[in-house]
Amino acid sequence: MTLQRHTLFDRLTTVHRPDCALFADGPLPAQVMGPDDLALRLGSETSGRYADACRPVFEDLRRVVGQLAGLMILAQLTASSDVSSLAELESCRQRWTAAGERIAALTAPDALAPHREQIVAAHAFSGLALGTFSELRPRGDNEAAFDVISRHVRRAYAHLSAATAEKAGLAMVDLSHACCSCGR
Amino acid sequence: MSDYSIWVCEYSYVKNYHKSGVLYGAHNQGFVKLPYCYVVIKGRDHIAMVDVGYNDKDYGKVLGDRFGVENWRSPTTVLAEIGVKPEEVDTCFITHAHFDHFGNVEDFPNAKFYIQEREIAKWVWAMSLPDRLRWMMVAVDPGDIVRGADLARQKRLVTVNGAVSDVLPGIDLHAADDSHTWGSMWVTVRNDGQAQSQDTWVLAGDLVYVFDNIHGPGAAVDEKEVYTPVGLAVGSQTNLVLATEAMMKQVGYDSHRVIPVHEERLRDTFPSRITKDGLRITEICLADGESSKVSA
Repeated sequence: MTLQRHTLFDRLTTVHRPDCALFADGPLPAQVMGPDDLALRLGSETSGRYADACRPVFEDLRRVVGQLAGLMILAQLTASSDVSSLAELESCRQRWTAAGERIAALTAPDALAPHREQIVAAHAFSGLALGTFSELRPRGDNEAAFDVISRHVRRAYAHLSAATAEKAGLAMVDLSHACCSCGR
Repeated sequence: MSDYSIWVCEYSYVKNYHKSGVLYGAHNQGFVKLPYCYVVIKGRDHIAMVDVGYNDKDYGKVLGDRFGVENWRSPTTVLAEIGVKPEEVDTCFITHAHFDHFGNVEDFPNAKFYIQEREIAKWVWAMSLPDRLRWMMVAVDPGDIVRGADLARQKRLVTVNGAVSDVLPGIDLHAADDSHTWGSMWVTVRNDGQAQSQDTWVLAGDLVYVFDNIHGPGAAVDEKEVYTPVGLAVGSQTNLVLATEAMMKQVGYDSHRVIPVHEERLRDTFPSRITKDGLRITEICLADGESSKVSA
Protein backbone atom coordinates (compact mmCIF):
# COMPACT_ATOMS: atom_id res chain seq x y z
CA MET A 1 0.00 0.00 0.00
CA THR A 2 2.74 2.38 0.95
CA LEU A 3 4.73 1.54 -2.15
CA GLN A 4 1.72 2.04 -4.41
CA ARG A 5 1.07 5.40 -2.85
CA HIS A 6 4.65 6.42 -3.35
CA THR A 7 4.50 5.46 -6.96
CA LEU A 8 1.27 7.37 -7.49
CA PHE A 9 2.52 10.52 -5.83
CA ASP A 10 5.90 10.42 -7.47
CA ARG A 11 4.18 10.15 -10.81
CA LEU A 12 1.84 12.98 -9.98
CA THR A 13 4.54 15.34 -8.87
CA THR A 14 6.83 14.67 -11.77
CA VAL A 15 4.43 14.09 -14.67
CA HIS A 16 1.26 16.05 -14.06
CA ARG A 17 0.64 19.75 -14.38
CA PRO A 18 0.03 21.77 -11.20
CA ASP A 19 -3.71 21.93 -11.87
CA CYS A 20 -4.21 18.22 -12.55
CA ALA A 21 -7.28 16.95 -10.69
CA LEU A 22 -5.56 13.66 -9.85
CA PHE A 23 -3.67 15.49 -7.15
CA ALA A 24 -6.83 15.54 -5.10
CA ASP A 25 -6.27 11.87 -4.22
CA GLY A 26 -4.00 10.98 -1.36
CA PRO A 27 -3.76 10.88 2.41
CA LEU A 28 -5.81 13.05 4.69
CA PRO A 29 -3.86 15.59 6.68
CA ALA A 30 -3.07 13.96 10.00
CA GLN A 31 -0.17 14.48 12.34
CA VAL A 32 2.50 11.88 11.59
CA MET A 33 5.75 10.98 13.25
CA GLY A 34 8.58 13.18 12.11
CA PRO A 35 12.32 12.61 12.08
CA ASP A 36 12.77 13.96 15.60
CA ASP A 37 10.23 11.46 16.98
CA LEU A 38 11.88 8.64 15.11
CA ALA A 39 15.43 9.48 16.01
CA LEU A 40 15.19 7.42 19.17
CA ARG A 41 13.65 4.45 17.44
CA LEU A 42 15.65 4.31 14.23
CA GLY A 43 18.90 5.80 15.30
CA SER A 44 19.61 9.41 14.60
CA GLU A 45 21.62 8.77 11.44
CA THR A 46 18.78 7.37 9.34
CA SER A 47 16.21 9.87 10.41
CA GLY A 48 18.82 12.64 10.34
CA ARG A 49 19.61 11.94 6.70
CA TYR A 50 15.93 12.11 5.85
CA ALA A 51 15.50 15.32 7.87
CA ASP A 52 18.44 16.95 6.08
CA ALA A 53 16.97 16.11 2.70
CA CYS A 54 13.44 17.07 3.72
CA ARG A 55 14.32 20.45 5.20
CA PRO A 56 14.73 22.38 1.93
CA VAL A 57 11.52 20.84 0.61
CA PHE A 58 9.65 21.86 3.74
CA GLU A 59 11.09 25.37 3.46
CA ASP A 60 10.04 25.62 -0.18
CA LEU A 61 6.52 24.48 0.59
CA ARG A 62 6.21 26.74 3.62
CA ARG A 63 6.95 29.67 1.37
CA VAL A 64 4.77 28.50 -1.49
CA VAL A 65 1.77 28.11 0.82
CA GLY A 66 2.36 31.52 2.44
CA GLN A 67 2.80 33.21 -0.91
CA LEU A 68 -0.31 31.64 -2.39
CA ALA A 69 -2.40 32.71 0.60
CA GLY A 70 -0.96 36.23 0.51
CA LEU A 71 -1.45 36.57 -3.23
CA MET A 72 -5.02 35.45 -2.84
CA ILE A 73 -5.67 38.10 -0.21
CA LEU A 74 -4.19 40.75 -2.46
CA ALA A 75 -6.09 39.56 -5.52
CA GLN A 76 -9.35 39.60 -3.61
CA LEU A 77 -9.05 42.76 -1.59
CA THR A 78 -6.90 45.20 -3.50
CA ALA A 79 -7.07 47.00 -6.78
CA SER A 80 -4.18 44.92 -8.11
CA SER A 81 -6.36 42.06 -9.31
CA ASP A 82 -4.00 41.04 -12.08
CA VAL A 83 -2.04 38.88 -9.68
CA SER A 84 -1.48 36.20 -12.28
CA SER A 85 1.16 38.34 -13.97
CA LEU A 86 3.08 39.27 -10.83
CA ALA A 87 6.73 38.31 -10.57
CA GLU A 88 6.00 36.86 -7.13
CA LEU A 89 3.60 34.33 -8.65
CA GLU A 90 6.21 33.29 -11.18
CA SER A 91 8.82 32.86 -8.43
CA CYS A 92 6.24 30.81 -6.52
CA ARG A 93 5.82 28.57 -9.56
CA GLN A 94 9.56 28.12 -9.86
CA ARG A 95 9.87 27.25 -6.18
CA TRP A 96 7.01 24.77 -6.46
CA THR A 97 8.70 23.12 -9.43
CA ALA A 98 12.02 22.97 -7.60
CA ALA A 99 10.26 21.41 -4.60
CA GLY A 100 8.79 18.74 -6.88
CA GLU A 101 12.23 17.82 -8.14
CA ARG A 102 13.54 17.59 -4.60
CA ILE A 103 10.60 15.43 -3.53
CA ALA A 104 11.27 13.08 -6.42
CA ALA A 105 14.76 12.56 -5.04
CA LEU A 106 13.63 12.30 -1.43
CA THR A 107 13.75 8.77 -0.09
CA ALA A 108 12.31 7.94 3.30
CA PRO A 109 12.87 4.93 5.55
CA ASP A 110 9.65 2.93 5.86
CA ALA A 111 8.81 4.38 9.23
CA LEU A 112 8.94 7.87 7.75
CA ALA A 113 6.93 7.06 4.64
CA PRO A 114 3.75 8.61 6.13
CA HIS A 115 5.73 11.77 6.75
CA ARG A 116 6.88 11.90 3.15
CA GLU A 117 3.29 11.36 2.00
CA GLN A 118 2.19 14.44 3.89
CA ILE A 119 4.96 16.43 2.20
CA VAL A 120 3.97 15.10 -1.20
CA ALA A 121 0.32 15.94 -0.55
CA ALA A 122 1.23 19.49 0.56
CA HIS A 123 3.10 19.89 -2.71
CA ALA A 124 0.22 18.47 -4.71
CA PHE A 125 -2.45 20.70 -3.20
CA SER A 126 -0.32 23.82 -3.44
CA GLY A 127 0.14 22.89 -7.11
CA LEU A 128 -3.62 22.75 -7.54
CA ALA A 129 -3.95 26.20 -6.00
CA LEU A 130 -1.14 27.51 -8.16
CA GLY A 131 -2.77 26.21 -11.30
CA THR A 132 -6.05 27.89 -10.44
CA PHE A 133 -4.39 31.32 -10.31
CA SER A 134 -4.18 31.24 -14.09
CA GLU A 135 -8.00 31.22 -14.16
CA LEU A 136 -8.24 34.61 -12.46
CA ARG A 137 -9.46 37.35 -14.77
CA PRO A 138 -8.74 41.06 -14.24
CA ARG A 139 -11.98 42.83 -13.37
CA GLY A 140 -13.87 39.56 -13.76
CA ASP A 141 -15.97 37.58 -11.31
CA ASN A 142 -13.36 35.37 -9.68
CA GLU A 143 -15.38 34.18 -6.71
CA ALA A 144 -15.49 30.54 -7.82
CA ALA A 145 -11.75 30.48 -8.52
CA PHE A 146 -11.02 32.07 -5.13
CA ASP A 147 -13.09 29.37 -3.44
CA VAL A 148 -11.05 26.71 -5.19
CA ILE A 149 -7.71 28.35 -4.41
CA SER A 150 -8.71 28.84 -0.80
CA ARG A 151 -9.72 25.20 -0.41
CA HIS A 152 -6.48 23.90 -1.90
CA VAL A 153 -4.25 26.29 0.05
CA ARG A 154 -5.95 25.28 3.30
CA ARG A 155 -5.45 21.62 2.48
CA ALA A 156 -1.80 22.15 1.53
CA TYR A 157 -1.20 23.98 4.79
CA ALA A 158 -2.90 21.20 6.75
CA HIS A 159 -0.60 18.59 5.18
CA LEU A 160 2.47 20.70 5.81
CA SER A 161 1.40 21.32 9.41
CA ALA A 162 1.01 17.58 9.86
CA ALA A 163 4.64 17.18 8.80
CA THR A 164 6.15 19.73 11.20
CA ALA A 165 8.96 18.37 13.35
CA GLU A 166 10.48 21.16 15.37
CA LYS A 167 13.64 19.39 16.47
CA ALA A 168 14.35 18.26 12.93
CA GLY A 169 14.18 21.85 11.71
CA LEU A 170 10.81 21.39 10.00
CA ALA A 171 9.10 24.36 11.65
CA MET A 172 6.40 26.62 10.31
CA VAL A 173 7.66 29.84 11.91
CA ASP A 174 11.23 31.10 12.06
CA LEU A 175 11.47 32.40 15.60
CA SER A 176 15.22 32.89 15.62
CA HIS A 177 14.95 36.67 15.67
CA ALA A 178 11.37 37.02 16.84
CA CYS A 179 10.24 39.40 19.55
CA CYS A 180 10.45 36.63 22.11
CA SER A 181 13.86 35.32 21.19
CA CYS A 182 16.36 38.08 20.53
CA GLY A 183 19.75 37.10 21.83
CA ARG A 184 18.88 33.50 22.64
CA MET B 1 -16.83 62.90 28.08
CA SER B 2 -15.17 59.65 27.02
CA ASP B 3 -16.58 57.35 24.35
CA TYR B 4 -14.34 54.34 24.93
CA SER B 5 -12.83 52.30 27.73
CA ILE B 6 -9.37 50.93 27.02
CA TRP B 7 -7.68 48.00 28.77
CA VAL B 8 -4.30 46.41 28.12
CA CYS B 9 -4.69 42.69 28.78
CA GLU B 10 -1.68 40.50 29.41
CA TYR B 11 -2.09 36.96 28.03
CA SER B 12 1.43 35.55 28.50
CA TYR B 13 4.96 36.71 29.27
CA VAL B 14 8.68 36.05 29.10
CA LYS B 15 10.38 36.53 32.46
CA ASN B 16 13.87 37.20 31.21
CA TYR B 17 14.09 39.02 27.93
CA HIS B 18 17.30 40.63 26.75
CA LYS B 19 17.06 44.37 27.19
CA SER B 20 18.77 44.88 23.83
CA GLY B 21 15.73 43.32 22.18
CA VAL B 22 13.56 45.99 23.73
CA LEU B 23 15.87 48.95 23.30
CA TYR B 24 18.17 49.36 20.33
CA GLY B 25 21.83 49.23 21.36
CA ALA B 26 21.23 48.32 25.01
CA HIS B 27 23.78 45.50 24.94
CA ASN B 28 24.94 43.75 28.11
CA GLN B 29 22.35 45.55 30.20
CA GLY B 30 20.62 42.49 31.55
CA PHE B 31 17.07 41.31 31.24
CA VAL B 32 13.55 42.64 31.61
CA LYS B 33 10.18 40.96 31.88
CA LEU B 34 8.36 41.13 28.54
CA PRO B 35 4.60 40.84 28.85
CA TYR B 36 2.58 39.75 25.81
CA CYS B 37 -0.61 41.80 25.63
CA TYR B 38 -3.48 42.85 23.45
CA VAL B 39 -5.70 45.90 23.86
CA VAL B 40 -9.46 46.02 24.23
CA ILE B 41 -11.35 49.17 23.22
CA LYS B 42 -14.94 49.06 24.41
CA GLY B 43 -17.51 51.65 23.39
CA ARG B 44 -21.27 51.91 23.41
CA ASP B 45 -21.70 50.28 19.98
CA HIS B 46 -18.44 48.44 19.39
CA ILE B 47 -15.88 46.25 21.06
CA ALA B 48 -12.55 46.34 19.25
CA MET B 49 -9.16 44.74 19.83
CA VAL B 50 -5.70 45.89 18.89
CA ASP B 51 -4.02 42.59 17.94
CA VAL B 52 -5.22 39.14 18.99
CA GLY B 53 -2.16 37.34 20.37
CA TYR B 54 -1.17 33.84 19.33
CA ASN B 55 -2.69 30.40 19.53
CA ASP B 56 -1.01 28.27 22.16
CA LYS B 57 -2.07 25.06 20.42
CA ASP B 58 0.29 25.80 17.54
CA TYR B 59 3.18 27.55 19.27
CA GLY B 60 2.94 27.06 22.98
CA LYS B 61 5.35 24.17 23.40
CA VAL B 62 8.07 25.64 21.19
CA LEU B 63 7.78 29.06 22.79
CA GLY B 64 7.84 27.57 26.25
CA ASP B 65 10.71 25.16 25.68
CA ARG B 66 12.95 27.38 23.59
CA PHE B 67 12.17 30.91 24.64
CA GLY B 68 10.76 30.70 28.13
CA VAL B 69 7.32 32.05 27.30
CA GLU B 70 5.03 31.30 30.23
CA ASN B 71 1.50 31.30 31.49
CA TRP B 72 -0.47 31.65 28.24
CA ARG B 73 -4.18 32.04 28.74
CA SER B 74 -6.93 32.03 26.12
CA PRO B 75 -8.87 35.16 25.13
CA THR B 76 -11.93 33.63 26.79
CA THR B 77 -10.11 33.56 30.13
CA VAL B 78 -8.29 36.87 29.74
CA LEU B 79 -11.22 38.91 28.46
CA ALA B 80 -13.55 37.52 31.13
CA GLU B 81 -11.58 39.64 33.59
CA ILE B 82 -13.07 42.76 31.99
CA GLY B 83 -16.48 41.23 31.33
CA VAL B 84 -16.00 40.70 27.59
CA LYS B 85 -16.49 37.52 25.54
CA PRO B 86 -14.37 36.97 22.40
CA GLU B 87 -17.51 36.53 20.32
CA GLU B 88 -18.62 40.05 21.32
CA VAL B 89 -15.55 41.57 19.65
CA ASP B 90 -16.65 43.02 16.31
CA THR B 91 -13.42 44.66 15.10
CA CYS B 92 -9.74 43.73 15.31
CA PHE B 93 -6.92 46.01 14.23
CA ILE B 94 -3.81 43.99 13.41
CA THR B 95 -0.78 46.21 13.88
CA HIS B 96 1.48 43.77 12.02
CA ALA B 97 1.63 40.15 10.90
CA HIS B 98 3.98 38.70 13.52
CA PHE B 99 2.61 35.49 14.98
CA ASP B 100 2.14 36.98 18.47
CA HIS B 101 -0.15 39.72 17.12
CA PHE B 102 -1.97 38.01 14.22
CA GLY B 103 -1.83 34.42 15.42
CA ASN B 104 -5.23 33.84 16.95
CA VAL B 105 -7.93 35.12 14.61
CA GLU B 106 -9.97 31.95 15.06
CA ASP B 107 -10.87 32.89 18.62
CA PHE B 108 -12.78 35.97 17.40
CA PRO B 109 -15.47 34.45 15.20
CA ASN B 110 -17.55 37.59 14.71
CA ALA B 111 -14.83 40.16 14.17
CA LYS B 112 -13.76 42.02 11.06
CA PHE B 113 -9.99 42.37 10.80
CA TYR B 114 -8.03 45.36 9.51
CA ILE B 115 -4.41 45.17 8.35
CA GLN B 116 -2.22 47.29 6.11
CA GLU B 117 -2.14 46.06 2.50
CA ARG B 118 1.60 46.67 2.45
CA GLU B 119 2.09 44.26 5.35
CA ILE B 120 0.65 41.41 3.28
CA ALA B 121 2.20 42.46 -0.02
CA LYS B 122 5.71 42.76 1.34
CA TRP B 123 5.58 39.45 3.19
CA VAL B 124 4.57 37.82 -0.09
CA TRP B 125 7.54 39.52 -1.70
CA ALA B 126 9.86 38.46 1.13
CA MET B 127 8.76 34.85 0.78
CA SER B 128 9.69 34.99 -2.90
CA LEU B 129 13.32 35.92 -2.20
CA PRO B 130 16.30 33.56 -2.33
CA ASP B 131 17.13 31.59 0.80
CA ARG B 132 20.12 33.79 1.63
CA LEU B 133 17.62 36.63 2.28
CA ARG B 134 15.49 34.47 4.54
CA TRP B 135 15.97 36.75 7.55
CA MET B 136 13.29 39.04 6.15
CA MET B 137 10.67 36.33 6.70
CA VAL B 138 11.26 36.17 10.41
CA ALA B 139 8.39 35.57 12.85
CA VAL B 140 5.60 35.29 10.30
CA ASP B 141 3.57 32.10 10.19
CA PRO B 142 2.32 31.18 6.71
CA GLY B 143 -0.61 29.67 8.58
CA ASP B 144 -1.68 33.11 9.73
CA ILE B 145 -1.66 34.27 6.13
CA VAL B 146 -3.70 31.19 5.19
CA ARG B 147 -6.21 32.06 7.90
CA GLY B 148 -6.15 35.64 6.60
CA ALA B 149 -7.12 34.29 3.18
CA ASP B 150 -10.03 32.47 4.84
CA LEU B 151 -11.12 35.71 6.50
CA ALA B 152 -10.99 37.39 3.11
CA ARG B 153 -13.29 34.71 1.68
CA GLN B 154 -15.69 35.38 4.55
CA LYS B 155 -15.51 39.15 3.84
CA ARG B 156 -13.99 39.60 7.30
CA LEU B 157 -10.60 40.95 6.28
CA VAL B 158 -10.03 44.53 5.18
CA THR B 159 -6.69 45.65 3.79
CA VAL B 160 -6.10 49.37 4.18
CA ASN B 161 -3.61 51.53 2.40
CA GLY B 162 -2.06 54.10 4.71
CA ALA B 163 -4.03 56.21 7.16
CA VAL B 164 -7.78 55.79 7.62
CA SER B 165 -9.91 58.15 9.72
CA ASP B 166 -12.96 57.05 11.68
CA VAL B 167 -12.64 53.36 10.87
CA LEU B 168 -14.89 53.24 13.89
CA PRO B 169 -16.27 56.52 15.26
CA GLY B 170 -13.30 58.41 16.72
CA ILE B 171 -10.79 55.65 15.90
CA ASP B 172 -8.11 56.15 13.24
CA LEU B 173 -5.45 53.89 11.74
CA HIS B 174 -1.96 55.10 10.82
CA ALA B 175 0.75 53.38 8.81
CA ALA B 176 4.44 53.19 9.73
CA ASP B 177 5.92 51.70 6.58
CA ASP B 178 9.27 49.90 6.67
CA SER B 179 9.66 50.19 10.43
CA HIS B 180 9.24 47.25 12.86
CA THR B 181 7.74 45.43 9.88
CA TRP B 182 6.97 46.40 6.29
CA GLY B 183 3.46 47.64 6.94
CA SER B 184 3.19 48.25 10.67
CA MET B 185 0.23 50.22 11.93
CA TRP B 186 -0.80 52.11 15.05
CA VAL B 187 -4.28 52.93 16.30
CA THR B 188 -5.41 56.32 17.56
CA VAL B 189 -8.48 56.75 19.74
CA ARG B 190 -9.93 60.27 19.86
CA ASN B 191 -11.93 59.62 22.96
CA ASP B 192 -13.97 62.80 22.87
CA GLY B 193 -14.88 62.12 19.23
CA GLN B 194 -13.53 65.49 18.13
CA ALA B 195 -11.37 65.97 15.05
CA GLN B 196 -8.98 68.10 17.12
CA SER B 197 -9.22 65.88 20.13
CA GLN B 198 -8.10 66.85 23.61
CA ASP B 199 -8.38 63.23 24.76
CA THR B 200 -6.26 61.17 22.37
CA TRP B 201 -4.73 57.75 23.07
CA VAL B 202 -2.23 56.05 20.81
CA LEU B 203 -2.00 52.25 20.83
CA ALA B 204 1.45 51.71 19.47
CA GLY B 205 1.59 48.02 18.55
CA ASP B 206 5.27 47.06 18.39
CA LEU B 207 6.41 50.49 17.18
CA VAL B 208 7.10 51.21 20.84
CA TYR B 209 7.72 48.27 23.19
CA VAL B 210 8.40 50.18 26.41
CA PHE B 211 8.55 53.69 27.86
CA ASP B 212 12.31 53.78 27.26
CA ASN B 213 11.69 53.81 23.50
CA ILE B 214 10.24 57.29 24.06
CA HIS B 215 12.42 58.34 26.98
CA GLY B 216 15.67 56.74 25.89
CA PRO B 217 19.07 57.70 27.27
CA GLY B 218 20.36 60.82 25.53
CA ALA B 219 23.65 61.50 27.29
CA ALA B 220 25.68 60.52 24.25
CA VAL B 221 24.20 63.44 22.33
CA ASP B 222 23.99 65.84 25.29
CA GLU B 223 20.25 65.45 25.60
CA LYS B 224 18.36 64.33 28.67
CA GLU B 225 16.27 61.93 26.60
CA VAL B 226 15.95 60.83 22.99
CA TYR B 227 13.67 58.44 21.18
CA THR B 228 15.41 55.06 21.03
CA PRO B 229 13.91 52.47 18.72
CA VAL B 230 12.97 48.89 19.56
CA GLY B 231 15.53 46.17 18.94
CA LEU B 232 13.89 44.59 15.90
CA ALA B 233 13.31 46.51 12.68
CA VAL B 234 12.73 44.71 9.41
CA GLY B 235 12.54 48.21 7.93
CA SER B 236 14.69 50.82 9.62
CA GLN B 237 15.31 52.32 13.04
CA THR B 238 15.00 55.74 11.44
CA ASN B 239 11.43 54.98 10.43
CA LEU B 240 10.69 53.75 13.95
CA VAL B 241 11.94 57.04 15.38
CA LEU B 242 9.91 59.01 12.84
CA ALA B 243 6.81 56.98 13.71
CA THR B 244 7.43 57.73 17.40
CA GLU B 245 7.54 61.43 16.61
CA ALA B 246 4.28 61.18 14.64
CA MET B 247 2.58 59.35 17.50
CA MET B 248 3.87 61.83 20.07
CA LYS B 249 2.67 64.73 17.97
CA GLN B 250 -0.83 63.25 17.93
CA VAL B 251 -0.96 63.28 21.72
CA GLY B 252 0.56 66.76 22.09
CA TYR B 253 3.86 65.21 23.29
CA ASP B 254 2.16 63.83 26.42
CA SER B 255 4.07 60.55 26.41
CA HIS B 256 1.83 58.75 28.88
CA ARG B 257 -0.83 58.74 26.16
CA VAL B 258 1.29 56.53 23.90
CA ILE B 259 0.62 53.00 25.14
CA PRO B 260 3.38 50.39 24.72
CA VAL B 261 1.94 46.91 25.10
CA HIS B 262 5.17 45.12 26.03
CA GLU B 263 5.77 47.49 28.96
CA GLU B 264 5.69 45.88 32.40
CA ARG B 265 5.77 49.33 34.04
CA LEU B 266 2.35 50.36 32.74
CA ARG B 267 1.35 49.48 36.34
CA ASP B 268 3.30 52.52 37.55
CA THR B 269 1.26 54.89 35.39
CA PHE B 270 -2.22 53.38 35.23
CA PRO B 271 -4.44 51.50 37.67
CA SER B 272 -4.06 47.75 37.29
CA ARG B 273 -4.47 44.43 39.03
CA ILE B 274 -3.12 40.90 38.79
CA THR B 275 -5.71 38.25 37.95
CA LYS B 276 -6.01 34.87 39.64
CA ASP B 277 -3.96 33.48 36.72
CA GLY B 278 -1.07 35.84 37.47
CA LEU B 279 -1.64 38.13 34.50
CA ARG B 280 -2.04 41.90 34.62
CA ILE B 281 -5.06 43.93 33.51
CA THR B 282 -4.23 47.61 33.06
CA GLU B 283 -7.00 50.17 32.79
CA ILE B 284 -5.99 53.03 30.52
CA CYS B 285 -9.29 54.92 30.64
CA LEU B 286 -13.00 54.40 31.22
CA ALA B 287 -15.93 55.43 29.05
CA ASP B 288 -18.75 57.38 30.62
CA GLY B 289 -20.84 54.99 32.67
CA GLU B 290 -18.32 52.11 32.59
CA SER B 291 -17.20 50.63 35.89
CA SER B 292 -13.58 49.95 36.74
CA LYS B 293 -12.36 46.41 36.16
CA VAL B 294 -9.26 46.80 38.28
CA SER B 295 -10.46 48.35 41.52
CA ALA B 296 -12.68 46.66 44.05
